[in-house]
Amino acid sequence: MEILEIVLAIFLSGLRAATPLLYVLLGETVTERAGIANLGVEGQMLSGACAGFAVTAVTGNPWLGLVAGAFAATLLSCVHAFLCLVVGANMFAAGVAVWVLGGGLSAFFGIPFVGKRIDGFIPPDFGALGQLPLLGTLLRTLTPTVLLGLALWAATGWFLYRTRSGLRLRAVGESADSAATMGVAVKRVKWLAILAGGAFSGLGGAALSVDQVRNWIEWMTAGRGLVAVGLVIVARWNPWLALPAALLFGVVEALTLRMQTWGVPISSYLLSTFPYLVCLAVLVWGYVRARTRGGMPRDLAQAFARTE
Amino acid sequence: MIRQILTLATATFLLAGCQPKVEAPAETRVGFIYVGPRTDFGYNYAMDQGRMAVEKDLGVKTVFFENIPENAEVERVMERMIADGIKIIFPTSYGYLDPALNVAAKHPDVKFMHAGGFKLAPNLGTFFADIDEVEYLSGMAAGASTKTGKLGFIAAHPIPQTLRNINAFTLGAQSVNPKATMTVVWTGSWSDPTKEAEAANTLADQGVDVLTMHVDGPITIAQTAEKRGIMVCGYHADASSFAPKGWVTGAAWNWAPLMEKIVKSIHDTTWKSVHLRGKLSDGYVKMASYGPVVPESVKPKIDSVKKAYETGAKLWSGPILDQAGTIVLAAGDTLPMAKIESMNFLVKGVVGSLK
Repeated sequence: MEILEIVLAIFLSGLRAATPLLYVLLGETVTERAGIANLGVEGQMLSGACAGFAVTAVTGNPWLGLVAGAFAATLLSCVHAFLCLVVGANMFAAGVAVWVLGGGLSAFFGIPFVGKRIDGFIPPDFGALGQLPLLGTLLRTLTPTVLLGLALWAATGWFLYRTRSGLRLRAVGESADSAATMGVAVKRVKWLAILAGGAFSGLGGAALSVDQVRNWIEWMTAGRGLVAVGLVIVARWNPWLALPAALLFGVVEALTLRMQTWGVPISSYLLSTFPYLVCLAVLVWGYVRARTRGGMPRDLAQAFARTE
Repeated sequence: MIRQILTLATATFLLAGCQPKVEAPAETRVGFIYVGPRTDFGYNYAMDQGRMAVEKDLGVKTVFFENIPENAEVERVMERMIADGIKIIFPTSYGYLDPALNVAAKHPDVKFMHAGGFKLAPNLGTFFADIDEVEYLSGMAAGASTKTGKLGFIAAHPIPQTLRNINAFTLGAQSVNPKATMTVVWTGSWSDPTKEAEAANTLADQGVDVLTMHVDGPITIAQTAEKRGIMVCGYHADASSFAPKGWVTGAAWNWAPLMEKIVKSIHDTTWKSVHLRGKLSDGYVKMASYGPVVPESVKPKIDSVKKAYETGAKLWSGPILDQAGTIVLAAGDTLPMAKIESMNFLVKGVVGSLK
C-alpha cells in the first residue's frame, strides 16, 4: 500500500510537471507537421506566462489569464509566421529571434507584476474524499490546466489523424509542392499551424505561472520550451506520443527530486541530468528499433538538408 | 544569410528599446544595481529596502537598475551611472565583483561598495552580514511549530553559505525539538520557480510540515506551502503576506543601518577600503514577524538565545555531530571564522547530499 502510494505520488508529480510541456509539445507538433520548426517557443511560453500572470493579477480570474497567455504568444508567433512566410527568412534564425524577443519583452513588461500575489485556481473543497490517501492526492493534482491539457491532447490527435483539415496540414508538411498541386492553400495552412503552435505554447506558459507556480519572474521557464522542442523528436512528431514523452520527462524529474529526499548519495547535479539522459536513451532506442527517419515531416527534413 | 542577420538585428533593435534608461537628475549621488527585480520579496527586495532608507534618512537622491546580468552589461550600467555624475555605487550581486573592479580602476574618484565580495581596490570596499544566528532562531520557531517533526529545506547549490544556513536552522530546531529532522532538496538554480514548487510539493507529500529555503525569492515556496496547508519560514525578507495562515517567521536582512553608515562615511571622508561585516548584534540582520502558528511558549526562549548572541555567545560551539554522527566539533570548542566560511558538512538529523 505504501509503495503504491509512493508510485502514485511520483506519477502525479510527473503529470503536474509534464502539463506545461504537454501544451508546448502539442503546439510544436502541429507546427512541425506543417513543415515549420519554431525554436521561438521558449519566448512564446515566457510571454504566455507573463501575460497570463498579469491578467490574473489584475482581474482575479485565472481563466482570463489562460486566454491572455494564449493570445500574447499567438501575437509573437505572428512575428515568426511573418518572418518565415512573408519575408522568407530562415525558420531557425526567425525562431531564435522570436525566442529572444519573447524573453526580453516579457521581462520588461513583467517588471510591475513581480512580487504580486495571485490565488490561481482555488481548488474545490473535496471534504472527506480529499483526506483519503490515494484519492486525495489524485484530486489535488487534477487541476483545471492538467485536465485541459489532457483534453487538448486528445483533440489534437483526433484533429491531425481523423479530420480532413488535419490531413491537409500533414500533406503540407510532407510535401508543400504536391499539396499545392492538389489545391491546398499551403501558405494559409502554414500560417494557421504557426498560430496554433503559438496559442498552445502560450497556454503552456500560463499554466505554469497561473496554476502551478502562481508566481511570475523573468525567464521563469528556465529552458522548458526548448525541452519541449526536443521532446517533439522523442515523440516522433506523433501527437498521441506527446503525452507519454512529456510524462517520461516529468516523471523522471519528479523521481530525481524524490530521490534527493531519500538521501540517495548521488550528486544533485548528476540527478538533475537524468530526465534528459532518459529521454535521449528513449530517442536512440526508438530510432534503432524503427530503422527509419523517425517520422520527421519530409519537407522539414529538407530544411535540415538545405542548411549550409 | 543577410535575411538571418536582418531578422536577428530586428529582434535586437526591438529589445534595445526595452532597456532601462538613465533618467538621473544632476544632484543624484548614490546608485544601486540589482541582479533581479527589486519586488521579489527576496535578496533584491532587501537591498532595495536599504536604498529607500538611505534616500529617506540621509536626504540623498538614489537611482537603481534592476535585472542587470553579471557580465559586461553591468560594466556599461556603471559607466552610464558615472557619466551621469553618480559618485557612490552599490553593485549588490556577488557576480558584479570583477566588473566593479574593472570600472573602479578607471574611475578613482567614484566609490564602490560591493555586497559579499572578497577582493578590494583603493576605491572599492565590500559589505555583508552573517545571518546564521537568525537562521538558528527561526529554526527554534520552526522546531516548536512542527507537528510531524519533519522540516524541509529547499536550496539552490551546496555551497558553504547554504550549508551554514541549513545547519544553523536545524540546530535551532533540534534545540527545542531534539527529534526534529531536516530534509534538503537542491534545485540547482537560484531562481527556478517551477522546480521550487515541485520540490515543495515533494516534501509536503512526505509529511514535511515546515518548509524553509535559500533561493533568490521566497514567494513560490511560501505560496505552495500555504496551498498545501503546511507552514513556512522565509528568507531574505518578510513574505508573510504570501502565507498568512502558515507563516512561522524568517531570517531577513536589514541593510539600512549598514548602507547609511557607509554613505555617511563617504560624505565625511572617513571611508576606508575594507571588508565591512556585521551580524545580529549590529542589527544588520533580523527576524521577520511571527506568524499565527508559533506557540507562545517558545518566544521567550528565542528572546533569551537572541540576547545571548547579542552579548557574545557563539552559535558554532561544540558538540556538533555531522550526518554520520561523527564529531566535527568537540564540546567546549568553537569553530574559527575560516572554518565557518568554508563549511563542508551537514549536521546530524539532516537528510541530503553534500554534492
